[in-house]
Amino acid sequence: MIGESREAPGGGAMSVAQVERELGKLRTNEDGTLALRSSVLNLIVVTDEESAPEVTDSVSKLAGRYPARAIVFIADPDGERNVEVGLSAFCNIRGGGGAQVCAEQVTIHAEGPPATHLESFAGPLLIPDLPVFLWYPGEFSPRSPEFAAMAELADRVILDSAAAGNGEGCLREIAALLEDPATPAIGDLQWVGLSPWRSLLADTFGSPERAGELEKIERVEVLYAPGGENRALLLTGWLASTLGWKAEGASRDEETRRIEYSGPSGTIDVELSAGSPDARLRRIRLYSEGQSFQVSRHRELSDVRTTVMRGDELLAERTVHLGSFDLGVLVGEELGYRGHDEAYERALAAAVEILDL
Amino acid sequence: MADTQVLQNVLRDDQRLPRVPEPGVMVIFGASGDLTSRKLVPALYDLAAQRRLPLEFAVVGVSRTEMSHDEFRARLRKGLEEQRSGEVSDDVWESFAGGIFYMPGDSKKAETYDELKDFLKRLDGERGTQGNRAFYLSSSPSLFPAIVERLGEAGMNEGEEGGWSRLVVEKPFGRDLGSARELNSEIRRYFEEAQIYRIDHYLGKETVQNILALRFANGIFEPLWNQHYVDHVQITVAEDIGVGTRGAFYEEAGALRDIVQNHVMQVLCLTAMEPPVAFDAESVREEKVKVLKAVRAIPEDDVEGYAVRGQYERGWVWGEEVEGYREEGDVDPESTTETFVALKVFVDNWRWAGVPFYIRAGKRLPKKATEVAIQFHSSPHTPFAHDDTQGLEPNVLVVRVQPEEGLSLKIGAKVPGSGFEVSSVNMDLLYGTAFLEEAPDAYQRLLLDLFLGDPTLFIRADEAEGAWRILDPVMHHWSESRDVPFYAAGTWGPKEADALLERDGRVWRRP
Repeated sequence: MIGESREAPGGGAMSVAQVERELGKLRTNEDGTLALRSSVLNLIVVTDEESAPEVTDSVSKLAGRYPARAIVFIADPDGERNVEVGLSAFCNIRGGGGAQVCAEQVTIHAEGPPATHLESFAGPLLIPDLPVFLWYPGEFSPRSPEFAAMAELADRVILDSAAAGNGEGCLREIAALLEDPATPAIGDLQWVGLSPWRSLLADTFGSPERAGELEKIERVEVLYAPGGENRALLLTGWLASTLGWKAEGASRDEETRRIEYSGPSGTIDVELSAGSPDARLRRIRLYSEGQSFQVSRHRELSDVRTTVMRGDELLAERTVHLGSFDLGVLVGEELGYRGHDEAYERALAAAVEILDL
Repeated sequence: MADTQVLQNVLRDDQRLPRVPEPGVMVIFGASGDLTSRKLVPALYDLAAQRRLPLEFAVVGVSRTEMSHDEFRARLRKGLEEQRSGEVSDDVWESFAGGIFYMPGDSKKAETYDELKDFLKRLDGERGTQGNRAFYLSSSPSLFPAIVERLGEAGMNEGEEGGWSRLVVEKPFGRDLGSARELNSEIRRYFEEAQIYRIDHYLGKETVQNILALRFANGIFEPLWNQHYVDHVQITVAEDIGVGTRGAFYEEAGALRDIVQNHVMQVLCLTAMEPPVAFDAESVREEKVKVLKAVRAIPEDDVEGYAVRGQYERGWVWGEEVEGYREEGDVDPESTTETFVALKVFVDNWRWAGVPFYIRAGKRLPKKATEVAIQFHSSPHTPFAHDDTQGLEPNVLVVRVQPEEGLSLKIGAKVPGSGFEVSSVNMDLLYGTAFLEEAPDAYQRLLLDLFLGDPTLFIRADEAEGAWRILDPVMHHWSESRDVPFYAAGTWGPKEADALLERDGRVWRRP
């Protein structure tokens, strides 16, 4: 695939009609032919000056997999009143036919009062009849009127519960948000990052006899790095909500959080340790009466090893790719999903329950 | 094991997690052949690396060549490196290869199967493969009946201890209607139809499946998809390459058996079938079989009126002069094998009555292209001044399968200016531009379906037989005549193919 970025000169404040006209011009090739516009969705992004370059880079990468009209807001409500619109298109050529296809990006710098009404820009720029995804790569304030107005435009909101400093608070806020039936579906990048781990854990109980061990789990250990706590909490919440465990008590010291659950066949002790120097999730181990099930990430490579042991005897072992956790990949996973993610919502509720103990 | 309570793996019960098959083992007969190292094992490796195979999985290769497990693994690794240069992870390969085994043996001898049975039982114990087996027949087709019989006699047509047993049969499914029936009945002496997976990798291609998505996921096309609106349909499966190193094989097969009986007939079925009730094996295959049954028999005394064959001579393809078919390696210099086929068929049912389906397939055509073109009737009356609509042609909806998958619709539009000149414009959509996701390899998709127990994209016995039934009179007629029309490599077939449409007042479109 050959890609080409095109940008429109000018900027400043533009009308909706001007934006559409200029975007059309961006799709015009040098020889006067018009490149196609392929779109499967609208993507609205709200970010700040500092994160803008990384976010824009991810958006242009996403254009390859999910061609969209992206509307990127760089908002600063505390600044002096100002609006600037920038337009760009990412055009690529595929296959032998040579047809060019462009994905468009509208970047709006909004400062001062306009930054509190981003929905007034976003609404008119959306391509009709296509789903709208709203992505906050950084901090977000779910209780603010600005958030509510933007969320109203969206079919799905993509958040990162670990992006801000207060991860625990974030989990609570998302959970509270989901209690309102008017809230659109929510995706959390911390949860998306768990998908391969969840799938690998499920594989270890793939054979009928081992599925039986799920009822007999007695102990769980999760090793993560600082910054990975929400993943560890959501993973625990997922296990608890899926396996029918009830939280009974919790304690924590500097590096370790211990939770006691009661399950179908007794007590389950869960230990979450922030002892890994890197990798948000390093290892998860489940112990039943006679067996242990481990999924652990390779130190340097993105490979992951699964083992099933009975005492010292290795019953099964496998190494596979863990997959990429690049920002664009995680967001891409979310763009491919529609509707409420019930497993996430249950895991989140169970994770918040741990925090409340 | 009897008193072990079998529980559902609730952790897998999540729509965002991929479906992973039950534990199992794949036994490949003819494992020293090309297909194993070029297609099957790379597809399995990719599935394993992407976490789509169960933890308890094994591959057992069987063929006559003497080899150790390690020699077999090394050979497969080499094949994999050739397919995926630089992308093979040592750790992942080592882990995957630990589940690959080799057993030398003569697939005609009963002892081989006793040994295999014991070996598989051992694997069940050591690797937890649960008695589930898929037997892949990748050997010479002449060995298929013997292998099936020996498997049956050894009791391996049933899984071990409550497991399942499935049989994968590679095409060709026979050489004609008679031999296909014979093969099917031999297989069914030991295996139930539900256990048999006849593989045509063409159906594993995303692009082919997209014909179904276009037709049945969109409300606007289906009302037009019938004899009221459609004038005729053209199906083209063109290749620009010659027979290359496959001369000996092609001499036996020819275009009709190699491409038309399977790939082209599948495309015809997907194009002409009624909407299935559900996208499941029986519903989809039932509708496909109905199409084959509805195809009007080609009259034996007028085959020329419906079928044309051709053979390429020396010519030019993409700036290069290429040999004629008779000059290719392992080809009889007086061969009458066809490298091009054009057919006219009718699907005699309510939907398609009177609509001809023109089919052409061949090698050394100007370009590689697979497409289905639906040509609609012309508008019944044009209100515009007669001279100004010269350029206006009937609407054509083209479903392109390759090279660039997409859809184009030819519509009439007004040329700007005074007067009312109308001209044809192509509205083009390339699916690839909307979804740039890498489509999985066809074998990956089909092997995963095999282990998940979903035969929707595999061929049922009556489908294979139905396709042969249509072609039998043509094969019979051609076998009695040595008169094969020639076409220059790099052209769209012999002039007789053009005449086939000209007689009906139509022309082939240029893909």
